Amino acid sequence: MTLFPLPPSGMGEFKVHRVRFFNYVPSGIRCVAYNNQSNRLAVSRTDGTVEIYNLSANYFQEKFFPGHESRATEALCWAKGQRLFSAGLNGEIIEYDLQALNIKYAIDAFGGPIWSMAVSPCGSQLLVGCEDGSVKLFQITPDKIQFERNFDRQKSRILSLSWHPSGTHIAAGSIDYISVFDVKSGSAVHKMLVDRQYMGVSKRKCIIWGVAFLSDGTVISVDSAGKVQFWDSATGTLVKNHLIANADVQSIAVSDQEDSFVVGTAEGTVFHFQLVSVTSNSSEKQWVRTKPFQHHTHDVRAVAHSPTALISGGTDTHLVIRPLMEKVEVKNYDAALRKITFPHRRLISCSKKRHLLLFQFAHHLELWRLGSTVATGKNGDTLPLSKDADHLLHLKTKGPENIICSCISPCGSWIAYSTTSRFFLYRLNYENDNLSLQRVSKMPAFLRSALQILFSEDSTKLFVASNQGSLHIIRLLEGSFKHLHTFQPQSGTVESMCLLAVSPDGNWLAASGTSAGVHVYNIKHLKLHCTVPAYNFPVTALAIAPNTNNLVIAHSDQQVFEYSIPDKQYTEWSRTIQKQGFHYLWLQRDTPITHISFHPKRPMHILLHDAYMFCIIDKSLPLPNDKTLLYNPLPPTNESDVIRRRTAHAFKMSKIYKPLLFMDLLDERTLVAVERPLDDIIAQLPPPIKKKKFGT
Amino acid sequence: MVQLRPRASRIPASAMVDEGHPASEEEEEAAEHGLLLAQPSSGAAAEPLEDDDEEGDDGFDDEAPEELTFASAQAEAREEERRGRGAVRRDKTLLKEKRKRREELFIEQKKRKLLPENILEKLTTAGQTDIKKSSGKLKEENLQKKNEDCVKGSDSKKAKFQKVQSVGQNKSYLALRLKDQDLRDARQQAAKAFIQNSLYGPGTNRTTVNKFLSLENKRLPVKKAAAQFLNNTWGTQKKQNAKRFKRRWMVRKMKTKK
Repeated sequence: MTLFPLPPSGMGEFKVHRVRFFNYVPSGIRCVAYNNQSNRLAVSRTDGTVEIYNLSANYFQEKFFPGHESRATEALCWAKGQRLFSAGLNGEIIEYDLQALNIKYAIDAFGGPIWSMAVSPCGSQLLVGCEDGSVKLFQITPDKIQFERNFDRQKSRILSLSWHPSGTHIAAGSIDYISVFDVKSGSAVHKMLVDRQYMGVSKRKCIIWGVAFLSDGTVISVDSAGKVQFWDSATGTLVKNHLIANADVQSIAVSDQEDSFVVGTAEGTVFHFQLVSVTSNSSEKQWVRTKPFQHHTHDVRAVAHSPTALISGGTDTHLVIRPLMEKVEVKNYDAALRKITFPHRRLISCSKKRHLLLFQFAHHLELWRLGSTVATGKNGDTLPLSKDADHLLHLKTKGPENIICSCISPCGSWIAYSTTSRFFLYRLNYENDNLSLQRVSKMPAFLRSALQILFSEDSTKLFVASNQGSLHIIRLLEGSFKHLHTFQPQSGTVESMCLLAVSPDGNWLAASGTSAGVHVYNIKHLKLHCTVPAYNFPVTALAIAPNTNNLVIAHSDQQVFEYSIPDKQYTEWSRTIQKQGFHYLWLQRDTPITHISFHPKRPMHILLHDAYMFCIIDKSLPLPNDKTLLYNPLPPTNESDVIRRRTAHAFKMSKIYKPLLFMDLLDERTLVAVERPLDDIIAQLPPPIKKKKFGT
Repeated sequence: MVQLRPRASRIPASAMVDEGHPASEEEEEAAEHGLLLAQPSSGAAAEPLEDDDEEGDDGFDDEAPEELTFASAQAEAREEERRGRGAVRRDKTLLKEKRKRREELFIEQKKRKLLPENILEKLTTAGQTDIKKSSGKLKEENLQKKNEDCVKGSDSKKAKFQKVQSVGQNKSYLALRLKDQDLRDARQQAAKAFIQNSLYGPGTNRTTVNKFLSLENKRLPVKKAAAQFLNNTWGTQKKQNAKRFKRRWMVRKMKTKK
């Protein structure tokens, strides 16, 4: 942790605590499923978390389902009517409820671990491939799924499945062979044996990682020997053989028009195959490997093909969305590569009084106290620490479930976190230098599965947003609690995870997440005060300013609104900036704003940050238009004042600290910035495939 | 040469009869029995012969065999049978009692192991409601899923587990056969091992992250060190000890200075 002053830019000097000891390592991506109707992407990770990204809302992660230790998802698919199913190695098929944000039910398929799952083209049937070699057919009923029948049992595990677009045949990839089944009779029509190695023999068995069935009867298979093979399902013979990699080819996805498909390899390369005509005039077409993309360093275990983009994800935890230039109509910044690495929610909370940071991991929480220094220095100096940062607490959660959200109170005496089935509240006591922890027992059951937890500024009240849509207010007493009130869910569908903000004077509570807009509640009178008009992009960050009680809302399309709660309308400044519009570079930022905070003594300043920059908006300064330079680091001091005034505008951005996971104002002269360098994440990933480079 | 079966000597028999010894009478009768029933009883005949070889040699020649009427012999035989049956009956009753006692003991032990009476009553009379078990080795989620499985009608082909109905208001249980859980876990472990082996096992061309990231450093015109050149985890214990020692030394120094 280092500490150094920030250069003054009309905002005064700040000492910045640079924190790099948050050992955040996301889990690798295992499956990806694209839903064409709603333009949403479901991503499942190796720890069992399932995340839903809204690709039309600037690729924002709007919902997620927390993971579970026993749930190792191996397959994910969307069915008719926005229903999401997943299947994993614990042998169960799980349906997710996207409105209640919980798991609807889990059905055991009784075939052992499930390796693959595919929904029929009509959307009413579900096929599951199991460890014992059986392929099971389920009927999707309006509220559940029902087992229909078993197909012929095969000798080895069924690792991949694909339906023919007409729904009459399926292709199942196993170990060393591919079977084609007839759906009506359930018997295997063809069994195609796959070579273990391209032109050669090998001891290692060939694992068919993916199959795709095209409407003309071609079956495309990708296997662990690095081959992409085209088979004719009518005769059961091999048509074409491509060797594209030295390592496994692990995933395949075909577009809806069946004129292109994408495969992902274990070396991190993603190949795009397209159906092109042999010569420019002829009608005969063939599959040609057109584009390689190297955006990953580790295995690409899941790919998806949307009408305009190729989506890939793998062990290196990045989600890469590559729009295809020929499919994109308007060639603007939307057609750029998107790489989603850092979380779109806050995983860190801060206690300003005691300079404590609470880090949230999947199965434990860490409490750190920031170091301190007595030295002073000039801009850009690194000040030596007189007292190092201290790891105060390592709190492990009981049970196999992941932690959904956590929070520490501003005074540092309460820690609360929630999993799917339980809610935990702890009281911390500080005596001299010692810390003691006491758990508050018998937390009410309605608090479990909380999506967001927030403490009031004076640490007397606890606000909990549950996944059912209701908001609970708990009064905290010494060592116990009292349930004050519950706000029932308002009308409107759940669009994203609920975010909460409370005003520093303790009167107002704002909650977002529904399609109706941001609701503002009056805590003193315990009723709904007003609702900010709905906006078609989800809210990414929310905060209420002290004194003025202005609600600042940041949306996923990088719009920032300021709404005055007492006046029940947008502020003047907000109207001005909406009229003028934000700078185009501001709107082209990739990552969402995850935290907003304010300066206690300067009401005109708003501090916000995303993963690659932090910005202090000075409402008293003029707004930039598209022609001014948005990112203008401070000109050298010997420049005249006139130039400085001309280039100064309201948005003071700094890209010194990146990638930022959290940034907040501790007091008037201190900031804390929690960074997570990408190299530190990569250093803890599983081993990648060896690449041989000439000269090494 | 055929060795004739010697007849039972009479003198010792009669002497024993005079004395009133019941054993030898039985013996003689047994011997006679053997003669009567045409059963070889050379063993029975041989023994008294051995004992009284020297004594009864003289008596053999002189005396005639004892005369026994059929009726008396029959009566004696029947009595012997009765006695034998009695013995068998006694044995049987003894065994029966033993078994009874054992059974009772087992029942007692079982009773001690079972839950108290009232809970058992509730179990048998309560309805079909299933609520998750709040503690125990079995995971909650699994239980919930098993719940759903039970409710599902036609699909639970191999419902190997027994369901126990709910108990009381606060507590709720779902009984599962641990054997099934172990089988499930074993299969899951096998599946995970398969994936691990096929992706990271022998034969796969894997390298460490450090080597992977340092590949470019090797080819630069000015060669740089590896990406993770420093091993920060080396000697953590030594470093911790050194830190503690330094702190203590400082404190001691301060004290002595004062």
